[in-house]
Amino acid sequence: MTTVDTASKSVNVKSLLSKYAIVWVTILVFIFLSASTDAFLSIDNLRNILDQQSVVLIVAAFTTIVLISGGFDVSLGAIYILAPLVALRVQNNINSAWLTLLAGILVGLITGLLNGVIVAYGKINSFIATLATSFIFFGIAYLVSDGTILRVTDINMRKVATTHILGLTSATWIAFLVIAIAWILLDRTRFGRYIFSVGGNFEAARLAGVRTNRVVVAAFVLAGAGAGLAGTLNSIRSVTAQASDDFSIIFSVIAAVVVGGTSIAGGSGAIWRSVVGVFFIAFIVNGFNLNGVDPVYQRIIQGAVILTAVGADAWSRRDKS
Amino acid sequence: MDLEVRGINKRFGATIALDSVNLKIASGTIHSLIGENGAGKSTLGKILSGVYQLDSGEVELAGQTVTIGSPRDALSRGITIIAQELSLVPSRTAADNVYLGIEDHAGPWVRRGVIKDRFEELTNTSGITVPNDRPVSALSIGDQQKVEILRALARNSEVIVMDEPTARLSVEETAVLKTVMRSLRDQGKTIIFVSHFLGDVLDVSDAITIMRDGKIIRTSKPTEETHDSLVEAMTGRKAGDAFPAKKPPLAPVSVLEVTGLTRGALFSDISFTVGAGEIVALAGLVGSGRSEVARAIYGADPIDSGEVKLQGNTIKISHPATAISNGIAMIPESRKDQGLILDRPIRENIALPYLKKLSSVLMKRRQENSLVSENFQAAGIRALSSEMSVRSLSGGNQQKVLFARSLAGAPTLFIADEPTRGVDVGSKRAIYELMVDLASKGMAVLVISSELDEVVGLAHRVIVMQTGKIVAELVGDQISESAVVAAAFSTKQREGLAS
Repeated sequence: MTTVDTASKSVNVKSLLSKYAIVWVTILVFIFLSASTDAFLSIDNLRNILDQQSVVLIVAAFTTIVLISGGFDVSLGAIYILAPLVALRVQNNINSAWLTLLAGILVGLITGLLNGVIVAYGKINSFIATLATSFIFFGIAYLVSDGTILRVTDINMRKVATTHILGLTSATWIAFLVIAIAWILLDRTRFGRYIFSVGGNFEAARLAGVRTNRVVVAAFVLAGAGAGLAGTLNSIRSVTAQASDDFSIIFSVIAAVVVGGTSIAGGSGAIWRSVVGVFFIAFIVNGFNLNGVDPVYQRIIQGAVILTAVGADAWSRRDKS
Repeated sequence: MDLEVRGINKRFGATIALDSVNLKIASGTIHSLIGENGAGKSTLGKILSGVYQLDSGEVELAGQTVTIGSPRDALSRGITIIAQELSLVPSRTAADNVYLGIEDHAGPWVRRGVIKDRFEELTNTSGITVPNDRPVSALSIGDQQKVEILRALARNSEVIVMDEPTARLSVEETAVLKTVMRSLRDQGKTIIFVSHFLGDVLDVSDAITIMRDGKIIRTSKPTEETHDSLVEAMTGRKAGDAFPAKKPPLAPVSVLEVTGLTRGALFSDISFTVGAGEIVALAGLVGSGRSEVARAIYGADPIDSGEVKLQGNTIKISHPATAISNGIAMIPESRKDQGLILDRPIRENIALPYLKKLSSVLMKRRQENSLVSENFQAAGIRALSSEMSVRSLSGGNQQKVLFARSLAGAPTLFIADEPTRGVDVGSKRAIYELMVDLASKGMAVLVISSELDEVVGLAHRVIVMQTGKIVAELVGDQISESAVVAAAFSTKQREGLAS
């Protein structure tokens, strides 16, 4: 916020506490883990967390925009699987890192466009629409890969994701870049304003001359591109991809975005919130791993933590009305 | 059941909402509470119905001091509130809603037959009828309100608090509601009527209590009051004329020329003009097609046939964006549902239609700020800063944000659909002045209003619609409330219109 707000001069401690609650809680988790777990506060561990979370951050950035616009996209998990399969086919034929990444992004753009058109012009609820397209995308993923494991044929390709620059991996830097782009889009451009207005009051935005359907399509296209890029980056890093790969990233992403405080009702939220949400969950998972907690219990506790965070947020908002 | 409150105080943070309020409400009367926004009338109603708790003071019901701790508590003592936003289960029928939570049952099974019989008996004894063969979401707002009233009666309520019940009703529905209120009173029920609509208040009340700044100014009989005396007591200022003087329109240049506009069953063959500097009102009953015509001109809804000319050029408007770029501005009927992005700042709400001009790659915040602050002042918005969220503003100021948004586009045609709905008396006058001022600067103004005094007070010309067709056009001295009503009902009489 660059402008001075007269109303905010009277902002009291309580509203600072509640507005940035997720930040304080994440910092507390960080401090707690630093104190309690030896291996947590080390350059290597933190660098690892950043590297692991890079794909989550990329998907989360544009998922945040879709949620603020009042939409919901569960098909990002399927796009995350489909895009690298197409991209690796490209890699196997033309051994170019850039074209491979571009192919993955392109798949995301096209699938996102399909989602957006169905939601905006077909007037189908976005959750149901993207649930349906998920099945289609998974089906296509099997077709593209013939049900086999695709491999990156040139091991040098991994450098796209693993090159160290200033101590951080290139995947991390790509994530930072994507976050910066999403942030600027949402906070500093006309498009960002449209996203907030469409999610806040669709009909009012339309009557104010906003081309609401185009805005909705654009949000889904961006989200698709993000998922396509993230999936491709992930597969290049692990050198293989197959249609039955784990697509649960979409659950982590939505959990992180919502824990961060972006409303699934649309109209409010922020990119920084999702970034904090991603790290909040990442720190907790990392803490569990370092302390050798059984992964089965990890999941149960993780679910409970997400419920608590979202519940506390809903509870604190109820006061205001 | 007589109701008395003594020395009631209520604070919200630093704001004193009620300041040592004493009031007696006699059983079997319609007692109105009036005042400007923030005067405390709704707060008092909500305390009596258990929505809010009082800080200090006493409530006496039928001679006994009682504590009303919750709406449930109030209900068990026979007090019900019907809030402005209705609280029905949309997908269920009227009877289901009326007996929600108090269903007749045998074990876990609801006895539908018994409920149906009881519902019929209730509608017979109360004389309030509503269709019970469809979900309440398919009912009009007026009928939905009747369902709420029946619900109160089914719970044996003696006192019914109605908070702005007529705000969302059409003229006919308001007339029906007033009949219902009178018949309830005659059956011995007490009705506390919280309202902004002074005409209704004078018409229906047995007693009127005027509030200002959390205090009671006086309680009187409607025969002792006039519209002006009420306004004066509410605002604490001498009531001037409700409407600014009409200025003659400029040279007869048509800005808007509509020919043969038709859309299915909603309206057909609509032709009229609006000149520069002219205020034209589209009048008629709700459902006569007034708003639909305006929305079609603005590109919010499609048309089947017809032509719209703006300053002599035929334009095809298929989206509001085209209307705006052609110099048309519209304030829609419902500011909350169709007008404002409530959780965003005033600034963003004003600038929204003009972002193309206010941005290249990034937003040009300096240009945006100057456009906003200029029109923020021109519209007379009263707020600490343009960064406040629109939700935090009063109804009148929210409406002024929409005016500011329209002004920012320097339109040649300005359409305002129900521009003063839910706006307090002081803001009304400011909004009227603004419209007269815009017209005097050469703008063509098209107003749609359900309030006849507004139509008569503002318009140079009145176009009256009925079931999708224009039935009359009144000019100059022909314009009067009775003439408008006569035209609106000219071919078929409907019952229950009070005017």
